[in-house]
Amino acid sequence: MEYILEMKDISKTFPGVKALDHVQLQVRPGEVHALMGENGAGKSTLMKILMGIYTKDEGGEILFDGKPYHASSPKEAMDTGVAMIHQELNPILDMTVYENIFVGREIRKNGLVDKKAEIEEAQRLIEECGLHVSPRETLRNLTVAQCQLIEIIKAISINARVIVMDEPTAAITDREVELLFGHIRRLTEKGVAIIYISHRMDEIFSICDRVSVYRDGQYIGSGDTKDLDEAQLIKMMVGREITDVFPKLEAEIGEVIFEAKDIVRADNKVKGVSLSVRRGEILGIGGLVGAGRSELVEGIFGMHALSGGEIYVKGNKVNVRSPHDIIKEGVALITEDRKGTGLNLSGTVNDNIAMVAIDKLLTYGLYNKSKARSASQEYIKKLNIKTPSGDQIVGNLSGGNQQKVVIAKWLLNEPDIIILDEPTRGIDVGAKRDIYLLLGQLVQQGKAVIMISSEIPELMGVCDRIMVMCEGNLSGEVTRDEFSQERIMTLASAIEV
Amino acid sequence: MKKTKSAKALLSEYFIFVIFIALVIILTFLKPSFIQPSNLVNILKQASINGILSFGMMFVIIAGGFDMSVGSTVAFSGIVAALLGQGQFPLIVPLVVAMLAGLAVGVVNGVGVAVGDLPPFIMTLGTMTAVRGLALLTSDGKPVTGISDAYKAVAASSFFGIPMLAVFLVIVILICSFVLAKTVYGRRVYACGGNLQAARVSGINTTMIRISTFAIAGLLAGLSGFLMTSRVTIGQPTAAESYEMDAITACVVGGVSMSGGVGKPWGVVVGCLLITVITNGLDILGVSSHWQKIVKGLIIVLAVLIDVKGKRKKN
Repeated sequence: MEYILEMKDISKTFPGVKALDHVQLQVRPGEVHALMGENGAGKSTLMKILMGIYTKDEGGEILFDGKPYHASSPKEAMDTGVAMIHQELNPILDMTVYENIFVGREIRKNGLVDKKAEIEEAQRLIEECGLHVSPRETLRNLTVAQCQLIEIIKAISINARVIVMDEPTAAITDREVELLFGHIRRLTEKGVAIIYISHRMDEIFSICDRVSVYRDGQYIGSGDTKDLDEAQLIKMMVGREITDVFPKLEAEIGEVIFEAKDIVRADNKVKGVSLSVRRGEILGIGGLVGAGRSELVEGIFGMHALSGGEIYVKGNKVNVRSPHDIIKEGVALITEDRKGTGLNLSGTVNDNIAMVAIDKLLTYGLYNKSKARSASQEYIKKLNIKTPSGDQIVGNLSGGNQQKVVIAKWLLNEPDIIILDEPTRGIDVGAKRDIYLLLGQLVQQGKAVIMISSEIPELMGVCDRIMVMCEGNLSGEVTRDEFSQERIMTLASAIEV
Repeated sequence: MKKTKSAKALLSEYFIFVIFIALVIILTFLKPSFIQPSNLVNILKQASINGILSFGMMFVIIAGGFDMSVGSTVAFSGIVAALLGQGQFPLIVPLVVAMLAGLAVGVVNGVGVAVGDLPPFIMTLGTMTAVRGLALLTSDGKPVTGISDAYKAVAASSFFGIPMLAVFLVIVILICSFVLAKTVYGRRVYACGGNLQAARVSGINTTMIRISTFAIAGLLAGLSGFLMTSRVTIGQPTAAESYEMDAITACVVGGVSMSGGVGKPWGVVVGCLLITVITNGLDILGVSSHWQKIVKGLIIVLAVLIDVKGKRKKN
């Protein structure tokens, strides 16, 4: 048996959209098989068909272990031996760790839930994964990374023969990524096949054996990762050559425009951090997940109470009690959680773009729809937002375009200081590049940009200076001429050298 | 392993229980007759029907739903029970048929919500109105009289000094608590309310779970209707108006989260007793029923406010 899983000639049509057009996928036992493609390429749709969440169009077939395979629900897929770690699946926050691990396949004794056995088994799995949490802890009290690991544990413990991992590392630290990779290797040794979806090139090359690439719902090709390089992969994904992954535009660096001194958060997640940024400068903030980076900028922005610290915008002290106080001084924060705090997903592109700077769109104190429409048109063009029209519902756009809508709504307010928290997470190569170029244009206009990112190559590519945080403290600062991956990693994990 | 909780955390978890005890002490102090056995029996009687309804409501809310129709269902099944409880059949017949009538309404609600994808509020608002109409239709708009003495005796009798109504409540509490805490089904009810999508991709048949919670609420509303008719000795098509609100109140006050996935049976017991004690206590103190409504309203908002604040601190 050469393939454990074969999907042949699969199509899927949604009302008005052909999401998959006669695509294929072949997975061998014991291999890590990467699925690559930009957002909207059809990877997730293909996997949802495999899991029985979507039904494929007539025609085409799926073979599992040589036999015809059909799943009409996730349960059937799991019973057959296919499991999936979903990218945007939130865990059940009000349940405990062990309840989450065993949800849907509870251990039974005499027909009742065997809580004791579940806790013991959960404890064993957690230890195996190198995680330090109690099985009885409620997920609400865990960090995002820990929750993600619980999801991974859950999929592993099903004893599936094919495990789909959709961006499993989106929210976990490098150390945990290593643990995950260790797990993946152990699983593949046992003959388990992993289908791995990720936008991170370094991961594809370090863990995956083969790769299949999709673009706009079509199958482009497959190959062994050892025969491919990054440029070739990007070309397959984007359909054209991108030579310059991190374009950096020259800008003149001017006077200090924004300063935060000794910021301490009331919940002590940030313990006295200072930062300053000049006109024309892109300042990066690096560090591991949970280092307090988002907490720092959200504190500065008035989203959480501070117990100490001073904030100066253009030399004037600003007393920040709520986001409103600092927005009117010309500061913008593009938050990490696009769907939670960035967008009104059921609103149109126009509605969303008008959200912050609504004062500019009034006529005699009333909302002027045509003003909003033309303002929105301007930014759709400027930011190259791919949408049929400004009346499109934002929830229907791809991740990259949603992110551009968030940026547009802030730019309409003409801020001088723009803070972005993980602006390129989960978006594709083309859209990332658009955002880097946009940041470059902004600083060329004399604005200042602060960008948080967990991807060190990205920070090194676009920033003029990187400050690194660790456990709520500033652990160091690196200027562009001293940039090195090792230096930043060392500061991020605060290992003394 | 942090198993020992701080006093503060304990207080916030059992806050409603503390309030309840405090209220009992204050009422006893103000009016010693409050703590008389006869009044306590009275409280149990008053709490019974709302308690049974609250437990059905609890399943629905924990699974992420909401049921506006239980009051109408009580009235409708009460009429059915009154029509069948004139002595022509053994008592088990009106009991079973009333519960089946309630079950039918619940299944319709559940199918509308889980299969038809209607918001629970809209679906059950519809059945609330329609089932009330059904109650009026079956009774021709008039109270149904003439139920048998045996049937009347159900609510009037007691069991070792405990009113029969309360015995029914205790049985419902025991069964429901067991189901929620110990069975696979119970665990899955919490999972559905906690995160429907996550439950679905974990292989849980969420459609069936959601239908079943509405079915349980309907079934218990049917039981309540049977008991109600026995207690007031007639079948009233206009009975049990806004009982769904009292049931929701008991759940919310008892710590069941309106967003689903959270709630403990003992909390609902206390929530239900608390509401009854407030009504009863204010009655004995001679406070007008107009004021009682104001106090009840304040308590709902306060209880949830404290609950929400407590949770926010924990994060």
